[in-house]
Amino acid sequence: MTVVIGFEGSANKIGIGIVRDGEVLSNPRRTYITPPGQGFLPRETAKHHRGVILTVLREALDEAGLKPADIDCVAYTKGPGMGAPLVTVALVARTVAQLWGKPLVGVNHCIGHIEMGRLITGANNPTVLYVSGGNTQVIAYSERRYRIFGETIDIAVGNCLDRFARVIKISNDPSPGYNIEQMAKKGKQYIELPYTVKGMDVSFSGILSYIEEMAHKMLSSGQCTAEDLCFSLQETVFSMLVEITERAMAHCGSQEVLIVGGVGCNLRLQEMMGIMCEERGAHLFATDERFCIDNGAMIAQAGWEMFRMGQVTELSDSWITQRYRTDEVEVTWRD
Amino acid sequence: MHLSSGLELFPEFVVTQLLFKDVKNCAELRKMAMEGKIAGALINPSMVLDPFQTLLAANKAVHVQKIGKMKTRSLYSEIIFNLSPTNNISEAFKRFGISDNDNAVLIVLVHNKEEAYNKDDVLSKADGQQIPADQMSTLSDLAKIKKLYKVAPQEEKCGSVLDAVICRMAAKDVV
Amino acid sequence: MAEADGVSARSVPPYLREAELIKQGAEARVYRIRFLGKSAIVKERFPKRYRHHVLDEKLTRRRTAQEVRSILRCRKAGIAAPVVYFVDLSTNCIFLEEIADSITVREHIAAAQASGQSVESLHHLAEKMGRVLAKMHDEDVIHGDLTTSNMLLKPERSGDLPLLLIDFGLSFVSALAEDKGVDLYVLEKAFLSTHPNTETLFQKLLQSYTAASKKAPAVIKKLDEVRLRGRKRSMVG
Repeated sequence: MTVVIGFEGSANKIGIGIVRDGEVLSNPRRTYITPPGQGFLPRETAKHHRGVILTVLREALDEAGLKPADIDCVAYTKGPGMGAPLVTVALVARTVAQLWGKPLVGVNHCIGHIEMGRLITGANNPTVLYVSGGNTQVIAYSERRYRIFGETIDIAVGNCLDRFARVIKISNDPSPGYNIEQMAKKGKQYIELPYTVKGMDVSFSGILSYIEEMAHKMLSSGQCTAEDLCFSLQETVFSMLVEITERAMAHCGSQEVLIVGGVGCNLRLQEMMGIMCEERGAHLFATDERFCIDNGAMIAQAGWEMFRMGQVTELSDSWITQRYRTDEVEVTWRD
Repeated sequence: MHLSSGLELFPEFVVTQLLFKDVKNCAELRKMAMEGKIAGALINPSMVLDPFQTLLAANKAVHVQKIGKMKTRSLYSEIIFNLSPTNNISEAFKRFGISDNDNAVLIVLVHNKEEAYNKDDVLSKADGQQIPADQMSTLSDLAKIKKLYKVAPQEEKCGSVLDAVICRMAAKDVV
Repeated sequence: MAEADGVSARSVPPYLREAELIKQGAEARVYRIRFLGKSAIVKERFPKRYRHHVLDEKLTRRRTAQEVRSILRCRKAGIAAPVVYFVDLSTNCIFLEEIADSITVREHIAAAQASGQSVESLHHLAEKMGRVLAKMHDEDVIHGDLTTSNMLLKPERSGDLPLLLIDFGLSFVSALAEDKGVDLYVLEKAFLSTHPNTETLFQKLLQSYTAASKKAPAVIKKLDEVRLRGRKRSMVG
């Protein structure tokens, strides 16, 4: 039996989770929510995380009914993500590892999402669409690497949605993406927006700048409602994501799709991806908000995989990095 | 002599091409066409390289007529228009239709496979010598065609002039 | 392909119902058909149900048009691509010349390697590829989907091996060295993953490309950058 505790705090969510041989024993989380119209900045986010991390750690152990001695390994997010929050969390993980005398494993945040997705859904060898506020990648496993087949050439789709929410002052509680999704359901009119797919890649800065510029004009002229904009934005960006996923699937001959990352919670995205899969005779796997959204258990799970293959991180190597590509990691636990 | 071809996309139709040289009554023919007395497209053969070129124009004309997207008023004027590399209708008629002092004409008929049509009626109207439709290139003015379709020497490296002409005809709506 | 039949029957244009389906891709189906007395290829961009219908129609139409434009643009510059016979914008079908007796570069390389031929024997081909791509990029045409399956070889009696580019569905016009660099990067990845142990071949291709285009240095520089960072910046936040 191997028990791993995972620390995640690369963006505005701070989560600590405990996993034992594929079983999630606890997975508490807190989100730093800013007022409408504002995004979260590194310094304040780190401050938020510092304020709650020990409480969350306590919750994680209590919910799992475990003591530090029961833990075999401490996993933490090495990157990618925002500098200050990453440091904050890494510091606690390092400290705890030393205090408890346990080995440390630095985990790639994206791989955390993938490994949790695989665990929860049982997907065998899917084409992975990883979509969040900070990342947008289409990934497929090949020869010991999670290879990036397609990605955003500028901003992440979640970032695009979040910034649009700020423009029209949508609430950030529980998350801007969630509120856009609810408003989109009431949208009736489809507004044409820039659609940018270049080969296997996507670009969102064009549609964002367009909608940032046009939103107020369109709303004040009564041409459309905020709900229409939410609807149109979703339809457009999600179509782009489904398209590059399908392309990767055709390239790899894959019959499975797994959506991970915060934006993966979106039911409309799941619906559209499901239709595409149905037309190809492929299977869609998705998780719910417990695991889509950044959480500690996913880091624990990836850490568990790495740890059992003997991959540990020496203290001297336990720094964090804002840039950490998914394909940099050698995936020793899969063949 | 004449060339009759089916349109695979529109199996109910047949396209017949009749080619004449040493024609003495082009002015009269043109007048008859404008008055609707000849049910066919009267084309200047010096602008056509190959029966395939005309067939493509006819195929497209039947297609746009079917979907209600003709740019000209009749199927026959549409065929002439489709030969042109530009979207200027009057220019198309001027360059690809016949003029009063021309001495050759390519007549293109489009008719229902079922209907019996009177080829002789058309044959009797043209005062000239009918030659086999597949000899169209003998009446083509290659230099004029290259100039009008703007075919540059480097394009001929990857295909014939006919290829270049066909591509322009096909791409006209999207460039 | 089996599931494609059930799905395609729903939206296939009438004239394609009896046609021979030769390829089903993510975006389009490719058929062989008799057209005006010739054997022709039809590329049909079919509707995507997951997209909003207004977006779908606009996008499909745009891509069909873009593909035709790119083919014409290439041909005008002397780059071989199939002749376009007819474009049906009501169904987004492109009717193209069939290049008889052609094989893809992919098949050619695979066959050469399988029969034990040395990689050197393929250098001539690699050089040709480099020259053709240089020409295309000098025309500011970005293919968008360069793979060895999207290049055709048509053996000629003279022994020459004309190279044709096909599948311009993802193409666009750009003068940016970055876009050209990414175009080559896509080919490099596809090349090396499909044809193992052909690094020298691709190097020859790039050498030939550099010799054929004055704008090559900037493009190769971008290619190097793209290779190093594994494509793009990782975003934060």
